[in-house]
Parts: sequence; structure tokens; C-alpha cells
Amino acid sequence: MRNRLLLLIPFLALIASLSACSGSSPESQSLVIYSGRAEEYMGSLFEDFTAESGIELEIRYGDSAALAAQILEEGENSPADIFISQDAGALGAVSAAELLAPLEDELLNSVDKYFRSPSKDWVGLTGRVRVFAYAPDRVSNLPKSVDDLTDSTWKGRIGIAPTNASFQAFITAMIQTRGEVETEKWLRAIVANDPKFYEKNSLIVEAIDAGEIDGGLVNHYYIFEVAEELGREINVENSFFAANDIGNLINASGIGKLKTSKKQEVGAELIAFLLSQKAQTFFLDEVKEYSAVNPARNPAGMIPLNQIKAPAVDLASLTDLKRTQQLLIKVGLL
Amino acid sequence: MTALEIKDLGVHLGAKEVLRNLSLDIPSGTFAALLGPSGCGKTTLLRTIAGLVRPSSGAIRFGKQLVSVSSLVLPPHKRNIGYLPQEGGLFPHLSVAENVGFALEKKLKSSERGTIIDEMLDLVGLAGFNNRKPHQLSGGQQTRIALARALATKPTLVLLDEPFSNLDYALRAEVSSEVVSLLKKTKTTSLMVTHDREDALVSADIIALMREGRVVQAGSPEEVYMHPVSAQSAESTGDILELPAIRVGGKHLVSALHPEVKRSGRSESGYLLVRPEEIRIVDAKGAKAKAVTQAKVTRIHYYGHDAVLELTVPGLSGELKVRVTGALKYEVGKSVFLEHVGPIRWVSQIPTGE
Amino acid sequence: MTLPLINEQAMARGEDSRTSPLLIGSALISLGFVALPLGYLFARALQGDLESLRIVVFRAKTLEVFLTTVSLVTIVAFLATLLGSAIAWSLHNIKLPNPNVFRALAILPIAIPSYVFTYCWLSLGILPSGYFAAVVVLTLSTTPYVTLAALASLRRIDSAQIDVAQTLGLNQFKIFLRVTLPQMRNALAAGALLVSLYVLSDFGAVSLLGVDTFTRTIQNTYQGSFDRSSAAVLALMLVALSGIVISIEVQSRNRSRIFKGSVSITKQVAPITAIRVRIVATSFLALYILAALIIPMGVLLLRFFARPQPIDFFELSQAALSTILVSSIGAIFALLLAIPLALLALRASLLGKVAERGVLLVNALPGVVMGLALVALGSDFPLIYQTVGLLGIAYSILFLARSVGTIRTSLSRVPENLTEIAATLGQSRSRIFYRVTLPLAAPGVLTGTLLVLLSSMKELPATLMLRPTGFETLATEMWSNTAIFRFSEAAPYALLLVIIAAIPTFLISRPDKNYVEERSREEI
Repeated sequence: MRNRLLLLIPFLALIASLSACSGSSPESQSLVIYSGRAEEYMGSLFEDFTAESGIELEIRYGDSAALAAQILEEGENSPADIFISQDAGALGAVSAAELLAPLEDELLNSVDKYFRSPSKDWVGLTGRVRVFAYAPDRVSNLPKSVDDLTDSTWKGRIGIAPTNASFQAFITAMIQTRGEVETEKWLRAIVANDPKFYEKNSLIVEAIDAGEIDGGLVNHYYIFEVAEELGREINVENSFFAANDIGNLINASGIGKLKTSKKQEVGAELIAFLLSQKAQTFFLDEVKEYSAVNPARNPAGMIPLNQIKAPAVDLASLTDLKRTQQLLIKVGLL
Repeated sequence: MTALEIKDLGVHLGAKEVLRNLSLDIPSGTFAALLGPSGCGKTTLLRTIAGLVRPSSGAIRFGKQLVSVSSLVLPPHKRNIGYLPQEGGLFPHLSVAENVGFALEKKLKSSERGTIIDEMLDLVGLAGFNNRKPHQLSGGQQTRIALARALATKPTLVLLDEPFSNLDYALRAEVSSEVVSLLKKTKTTSLMVTHDREDALVSADIIALMREGRVVQAGSPEEVYMHPVSAQSAESTGDILELPAIRVGGKHLVSALHPEVKRSGRSESGYLLVRPEEIRIVDAKGAKAKAVTQAKVTRIHYYGHDAVLELTVPGLSGELKVRVTGALKYEVGKSVFLEHVGPIRWVSQIPTGE
Repeated sequence: MTLPLINEQAMARGEDSRTSPLLIGSALISLGFVALPLGYLFARALQGDLESLRIVVFRAKTLEVFLTTVSLVTIVAFLATLLGSAIAWSLHNIKLPNPNVFRALAILPIAIPSYVFTYCWLSLGILPSGYFAAVVVLTLSTTPYVTLAALASLRRIDSAQIDVAQTLGLNQFKIFLRVTLPQMRNALAAGALLVSLYVLSDFGAVSLLGVDTFTRTIQNTYQGSFDRSSAAVLALMLVALSGIVISIEVQSRNRSRIFKGSVSITKQVAPITAIRVRIVATSFLALYILAALIIPMGVLLLRFFARPQPIDFFELSQAALSTILVSSIGAIFALLLAIPLALLALRASLLGKVAERGVLLVNALPGVVMGLALVALGSDFPLIYQTVGLLGIAYSILFLARSVGTIRTSLSRVPENLTEIAATLGQSRSRIFYRVTLPLAAPGVLTGTLLVLLSSMKELPATLMLRPTGFETLATEMWSNTAIFRFSEAAPYALLLVIIAAIPTFLISRPDKNYVEERSREEI
């Protein structure tokens, strides 16, 4: 009796996989999206888009970098029509491999010029700003520049996330503005100042709240995220550095169309939707990120984007991560 | 007709030559026993016949069918044999009925299958045990089910590898005689490996004595017991006394049991092979002077149904064993008189060592 | 049945000792699957320009990563072996209030994904991030692999040996040391190997705790620079390292003759009832279960109740069904791949050795590498790309090593005399395998398959890349919440995952059926 059952197993496997194959054959009208931005931040917008346009979306959520690597591996065979990334780096890597299609001018022109990629094959969706997060009761003298953090008064008190894409983008920008030699000096000084290393920005914010460290280099929205998760007010605030300091870098999440997509027009429709007033308001109010379309607006509790004295950095330059990685490896952070 | 014919069989296990130039014929319908000390190769022979071991030379025939010529062999599952290994080897995951029906052909209808299984269970006296699991059976029952399984396909040959060795002593005789009478009743040609000489003598039609990888003697139990071809064969089937003796004129004997007689002729020295029951103890009174030897009782082994006396005889180094039956009327230290009553088995040499 | 005098076809020369072409063929197919990721890595590594590959291999960091990885693997394997054998001994020898529950709870930590496990411990704030925390967390979460192997070997030790040792004046501790432990050696070595490969491939714990192992470095290389060649070179170094680990295990195996006797009755050791020993052992077990299961699950529950969210039961049940579907497919594929390899591994041939050890090499690869390998190969075939079938194949390759060993061991324990009898009863070799060998080895085969099932349930990186678009499992749902720091919302998914995983865990940890049969025979 039992051995009969065992014999059935291979057949069950076959049937299951066959049925799975036929079940997932792509429908012609739907758009396949690889989204590095989480469902929490995108899901309701996608639903609205489908409701308005009647276009079905098949969404693969994942890590931005992993999805970019996946698109690079898929190459010409990628089933994806649209790639949405949390940061410029991942989009840049796909763009550099010439896998993105040129975007329509009206899409490029609808965003603030800071958020247009010079290669004209992707645009920013939201702005995410680097800040210094700190515990207000333990920090009285806020740093004016990231250089202040190399001072011995900060020894052992700050947290950084060197493996995180947002930190690496910041270093890339620093190389762009100060050059490789100066950046290496700064990195070595920071490392010598005994910082604590974290995997994620949210863990830095949590550690500040828990009193493990007093401050850290993170993106601006993490203090809202952590407070929401913990369900209480947290003892962490954001602050900007002095005007034009590289520590105030504005990074972007963005969107592009795959060159291999056969649905370029539908793709453009989706991008236009995500750049619409409605979607951008959602990003500002619900996700607490900046709008790529209207830099005059601000998420609650933050100053408007155009009032941030951000350094003059070309967003496209943030995609050149190779040098950054080699530098980080050189100073022992990777 | 010959059911099994083995000719010049040689088997190597690894580098070791286990069987060499072995020949044996088993007539159809007989129950044969392979008897020999452990390590003589009898289990290997059985496994070679079953097709589980590949020979290096020789031929095996089942009736007229050749199943093995040198290293060309018919695989075991095509030989239509029944095999009873030492521990019965019932499949623990199958019920009694599934075990018995294991070898029945797939195309058989389930009703036909059921009939055969019931017949077989009936044959071994375990009707109604169909749904039991092997672990719910006693040792004797397991052996009988294993037999039913082996017989279910009406095999041309049944091979038994010490099938009763793991049974209690008390149970062994009973199960053994049942199994043997069943095999004889169904006229199944059978070959059983055993190292128990009584087992072989009681049950077999033919006994093949094995030593060091060959069959040294084969014949009826009486033949191999009474007329061993060597001291070793004699030892295989029972206790034996190797009595140094001198033969005078090719006929007249002089030994510890044969007081000196004045005869002339060519004399040669050798040994007499004497079974313990072939020495009769006679009272001093009735002793005829020319035929008796005086001996002293040094020890008595009492077995109930009989007894063995250890005696010292003048002129003989070592003890002499004599089997006596009936009421015990001997005492240690007393003298008795001995008389040789069996056949004369003369051998000129006793091989020493292995 | 009439047979011709000589049947030349049937009388094959050397048939019984030759491995059947069918077996070799199917084993080669299995090995082919295993070789896929390795082939991918070589292809990618060769694409890189030599200079930047040289930098990757010879930078100072590589040596540091190598040393960190080696020491972490060694320490965790040692501690998990110690802890696992102590847990197994207690479960086996102590009269516990509810042995079945204790056994299942002590195995269940296997089901908690490493990143969830680590985060929960971290958020308690009592464990400083870093190397030490990684040792603690990885030891706690990998111990069940050793416990399982040790339990199985303990069940095979005959109580007569313990009785004799006692009459020879040994106390319980010395009996364990001198009688029990030597017989557990091979099982412990196998368990330690699984732990080592787990630590080598783990990303969740080491990344959250900031310990630079090979796997984390590989992930960072992909993530930071999209430099697939450098990542491939690092992954090949990881493969080489796991080769060393595997050969150490082979060396440490007790080479004394593997007992391959007939089915015999193993009398089970009577549980120790001494109250003091019971209290100590029970609290020890309870402490482990607290640290490895209740604390992580408790933290998630507390998070959930601190900020209760409406649970989307539809999404939850769909994710659960998806998890069950896709991990079952993975487990079944692994079973199909593992059986020919295990059968081949039983033979002392070169191919057998390759079959046994080759699969282990791949087991240390991080899921992201496996995912990308199958993306690169699979995207050429739109019909299977991003189907649950391909995802199942990925799982089976990733976790094959967890089943091959168990299956090989259980196949090797099928008494040879039973297969021989089946041959004399007219059964061909394939029929013998289906009718005798497989049913008798079923408990071990089932255990190996369930281990793959459990591992697949919580797998993440390959799942994210290879699942059908829009297809969410408990693990991906959990990830999409934890990635944005919503542990409270991940809690229902994590809890359901653990509850579902509890069923196979219970099946794995319960004594197998043959053992129960042996017990009941003894009672007659």
C-alpha cells in the first residue's frame, strides 16, 4: 500500500509543475513590473492604476540591487517591462548595460531637472535625502559637516551602514565632488573614529533610540518608519549639515522601461501615472519621501526639497559604484 | 532424474578461493543436506546455486537447464528457486499474506492470488494468519511463513540455509521435522545447509560432506555414517575414535581393543575408526579371553537416554569413549571389559591439522 | 515455466556487480543539475577582466573574510555539535513530561528564517551586535540539525550495551562518553557538516550582525557594484572552502566496518527517572527551547500586539498555500534527484564518491548565487522561467545535500539478506528496489525529504528571483514587511510559517515506524 503511494510521488511532481507552468503564461495585456520599492509604498498606487486604465499589472517585488542583477542576467530575455528602483545606483547599472529604453520627452520634462537621467532612459520618482539622525537629549552640538564626525568628540558615538546602497551613493557623491584622495582620507578618519556598523539605516535609527549610539548617517524617512513600527515616539531627530555639505545629498528612487518590452506605450502610461499629482502626493504624505515633480512640497516634519542646501551633484554620477566599492574595500569597509 | 548437477565449481570471494573443483548431484525429489564445519564454504555453495554469488569456473544445471557456466550466470530472479535464509528473512513491512504472495506473478487475479496464499498457509499449518505482521509471529511461525513464501511459486529447488539455527532447542526439532516432512510430501527437491550432524542424519535423503571448499563424500545418511571415506568424513557425522592399530596379513588386527594374536604375514600400521557405540562393555564373567580388553572407568557423562563412559586402556594414550544405554551400572574407578563389535574401518593415515 | 537450455541474453556476464545504466544515467542527470550553478560561476568568473579579479582575490580583506568565515564555521559547528548531542541525549534518555512535544519543539527552530531569528534577538538589546552574537544566534538556530542526526543514532544503540556498561561500574556520564558517544560519531560528523554548510551559506544572521563572511561579501559585491565576475570569483572561493569542510567530515568519519546486519531487535534504553537528573535535563531543554524558539516568536508576538494590524486572512492563507505548494515541489524534486545519487553513493566507485560529495559543494552557496544562476540559464526558456517548477528545481539543488545523506544512510541500513531473498523470489532489481528497499528505507527517505521541505519554506533570495511574478509565499511576504522594518506586520506570516513547519518537524522528530515495530515485538 505504502509503496504504491511512493510511486505516485513523481507523477504528482510532474502534474504540479506542469500545471504551474501553464498557470503562469503571461497575458498579453498585462505589464510586468520588477519593483525594488516595497509593496507597502507602491501597492495601492498600482491598484489605482489598474482601476483607472484597465491595464493589469504583474508585480515582482524584490530588493532593488537583486532585481537589477536579475535583469542583467536575463538580458534580452527579461520578461520585465518596467524596473522601479529604490536608488539611482541600481537603475544606473541597468542603464549602463543598455537595457533601458529611451523615455518620452514629456515624461522627462515632467520631473524636476535634478531627477532626469542624462542618458534619458530613466526618471526619478521620489527624492530621499541624506541626514544626520541623532538623539536630541544627548547631542547638543550638531555637526556642521560630515568632516566634523571625524572629530574625536564623536569617537564611538555614531553609526554608519557601509554595505547599504544609500551610504555608498553618498560616498560616490563625495568622490565626485572632492576626489578620490580626499574621500579616502575622510573614510580613514571615520574608521579611525570607531563608528558602529549596521546593515540597514533603520537599525541605526533604532540603535540611536536605544542609546547604543548618539547619531548616524541615514536617509531622512527612517525616523518615521521606525517610530511607526515601534508604535511610539522615538528619541531621534533629523538634522541637515551646513549648506552644500556633501552630507545633505539628495538621492532618488526611480523608474525606467526595459528596452526589450513590447509594451512601451503602456509602460509610459504607468510612468506618467506615477508622476501624476495624485501619486506624488501619496509619496509625500504616506511614504514621507520628497516629490520628484514638485520640489517645493515637503513631507510633514521636513523642510521643502528646494530649501535643502544640497551639494551640486549629478544624479547620474551616483550610478558609478565601481570606484566607490574599490575604495571602500581599500579602507576595509567592505 | 538429476534435479541439480554441479560440476567442477570454483568460487573466489575476493582473492580467497572458497570453493574448488566441487561436484555434486542431487536426484530430483530428494532432500539433501550439506554438512560441514563453519568456514568450509557450504553457505557460499548454496548462494552460488541461488545465483547470488558468481562462480569463477564450473557449471551448474537445474535438471537439463544450464544456469551457470564458468562466470556466465542466470540472475537469481530467473531461476525459480525457493530460498530460506538463516533468520527466515520475512519482509517486516509486509503482512503474512503479502509475504507469502510476494513472488506470485503480477498478472494473477487477486482471487487466484488469495487462493494460493491460503493454500500455502494451510500447508504450513498457519491458516488464518493472513493479516498478521512478521513481528507478531513466534520464531517457529516465522520460519514456516518463510517456507510458505518459498513454496508459493512451486520452485524447482528449495535452498535452506541453516533455517532452524535461531530457534529454541525445544522448538527446533519440531519445526525441523515439520518442514522436512512437508518438503518431502510435496516432493520438492531441497538442499539444506547445516552444521548440526543430527539434523542432517535425521532429515536428509542424501548427505554431502564438505571440507575446505569441496564435497568429500556424498551418499545416504547410513552410507556416510557407516562408511566414511576418511577420518575427517567420519568425524563430520559423529564421534569417532581413531585407534592406532597394526594389520597383519592384510586381515588380522592388533590394537588396544584387539589383544595380540600370533599371526604371520606382512604387517602394516594404521588406524581403526571406531564409533563409541561400536564398543560393547561386557562383564568380566562372560568375557572371552581372546576378545576382551580390560579398562578402567575414569569418568561418566550421563545424558539420560544414554551415557558415555571415559575409560583408560592399558597401552592406549588418552581416553577411550564408549556409549552405553540403559540403566547405569558403572562406577568410576571400577574395571570393565571391552569388545569391538562394529565394522572394520581401516585407514593408513590420519591427517594432522588443517 | 519452461526455459531454454541456455538463455544467452538472460545469462549476462557481470550483471549483478555492474551498476545499471539506468541508475548511472539518472545519477548523472542529478549531478548535472547540481553542476548548473558551478558552471554558471565559472562562466561568469571567466568574463571578468583579470585585473579587477586579481584585486578581489588578493586584497587584504579576502584573507580577513576567509579567517572570519573559517573561525565562525568551526566554532558554531563545535558548539552546535555539543549542544545538539546534549539535547538529543536528554530527549532520548530522560523521562520527560511530554516527550513528543519536547522533541518537536527542540527541532522547530529549523523553521525560523535566520534574519527573523537574528532580528528578534537583536531587538531585545541584550546581545551586542557582532561576531559573538553571530556565534550565539547561529549555534541556536543550527543545533537541530545535529539533534536530529544524534537522535537517530541514539535510537540504534542497544540497551544491552548500556546494561553491561553499568554492571562494569560506569556511571551515566562515563557510559555516555565511552559507550554512547563513539557510536554517535558518524551521525555527529554528518550533523556538524550540515551546520557548517548552513553557516557558510547564511546571509540573514551575518548581515544583520555585521560579520563579514564570504556569503555577505558576495552579496555586497552584487549589491554595490553589480560586478558579477568578482562575485563569482568569491563564490568559487566559497565552494573551495566548503570542499575543505566536506573532506574534513569524510576524514573524521569512523571508518570501522559499517554494521550491515539483518533486522534485529534493538532494545531501547529505559528512560532515566532519577528526579534530580530529570529536573536538570528538563530545564536544560526548556532553556534551549526558550532561547531558540520562544524568544524569537515572543518578540514577534509582542511587536504585533504593540501595534495590532488588521490581518489580511485571504493574503495570509494564499501565501501559506503557495509556500506549501512550492516547497513540496522542491522536496519532491530533491527526492527524485537524491535517490539515484544516494544509491550510487552506496557503491565504492569513483562515481559514487562524486555523487556523495559533489552535491555538498553546492550546499554552501548562498541563495542569491543559485537564484542568479537559474535566472541566467532559465531566462532562455520562457516556458519554465519564473514558474514554481523552476523554483522547485532551485530548492532541490540548494538543499539536496540535506536529503542525500539521510537517504543514503537509510538505504544502507536495508538488510542485504532481504534484497537477496527478493531476488530468489523472482524479483528483478528494479522491482526489488520498489518492493523492498524503498519501503524499508521509507522513514529515512521521508526525513530527508522533509528537511528539504522545511528549508525550502523559509528560503528567500532564490524565491524572490524565481517565483512566478506576483506569486507570494510566507517567506516573501515576511521579507516585504521586514525589509521596510515592519516586524509587527511580518509576525502573522512568521507565526504561520512556524505552525505549518511544525507538522513536518513533528514527523521528522518522531521515532520511525520500524523502531516502533521492534518495540512491540519485544513486548510479545
